[in-house]
Amino acid sequence: MHVGTRDAKLHPAHAFAAGAIVSEDRQTVTFLVAESVSGRILRDLRDNGRVAFTVGLVSHEAYQLKGTYASSRPADEQELALQEAYLAKLAAAARQVFPEEFATALIRAIPYRPSVAITFRVEEVFLQTPGPGAGSKLA
Amino acid sequence: MGILPDEIKPAMQGIFPSHVVTCSGDGIPNASSISQVYYVDADHVALSHQFFNKTTRNVRENPRALVWVINPETFETWDLEVEYDRSETEGPIFEVMDMQIEAIASMVGLKGIFKLRAADIYRVISATKNAAERPHP
Repeated sequence: MHVGTRDAKLHPAHAFAAGAIVSEDRQTVTFLVAESVSGRILRDLRDNGRVAFTVGLVSHEAYQLKGTYASSRPADEQELALQEAYLAKLAAAARQVFPEEFATALIRAIPYRPSVAITFRVEEVFLQTPGPGAGSKLA
Repeated sequence: MGILPDEIKPAMQGIFPSHVVTCSGDGIPNASSISQVYYVDADHVALSHQFFNKTTRNVRENPRALVWVINPETFETWDLEVEYDRSETEGPIFEVMDMQIEAIASMVGLKGIFKLRAADIYRVISATKNAAERPHP
């Protein structure tokens, strides 16, 4: 999961998100970013609110959500547990592609605690799976 | 001496997909994975341009981009601030990237879908290794 933002000069920034939660009403998404890499994107989001968020599977199926920043706060214990479940799934997916030892080391290197929970309102959804339909707007 | 250190070179071997964030002229960011970030020299990288997509359109409106790469030997991640310079559709950089894209496409089962249209050359403004990562429990 990857997050894109930009500053007032339209210079982009990036952060890796380790886990995300879709709200029950499907209007917002809360993604979880390690505090150690959250500084720049939080500054951008508080400045202008614009966010791009991508999610993808090992199969290359991928989506991009675009929207507007709503809020942020320290991630709680429930979200930490969700991150650990997410990283376990990511490790299983990595083992489909890479040797066991390599996949484990890769996942262990992902920063996630402590994390910041950042919520945004989803305004647009795009298909990002490589191929002729990539970039088409789904919602 | 250029901006890119030698230690970043393994992150540009195409083992892991990299990610690029761009921004349109009217301020909408776009995040996308990218098959290949190619080390041209210590001040330039080339990004594979396979589809005419939002990334391509954005850098023609606003040349600044952020490229995220991961070193498969150390798992350290880097942020590269870059600026789009030009596209090459022939020549040595294009040819090497074209061969590598074919190899990547074969490995990931996307032969025929991944096809290099151009090697987009970017000037590197800065290269920052991301903060030390806290080990998992």
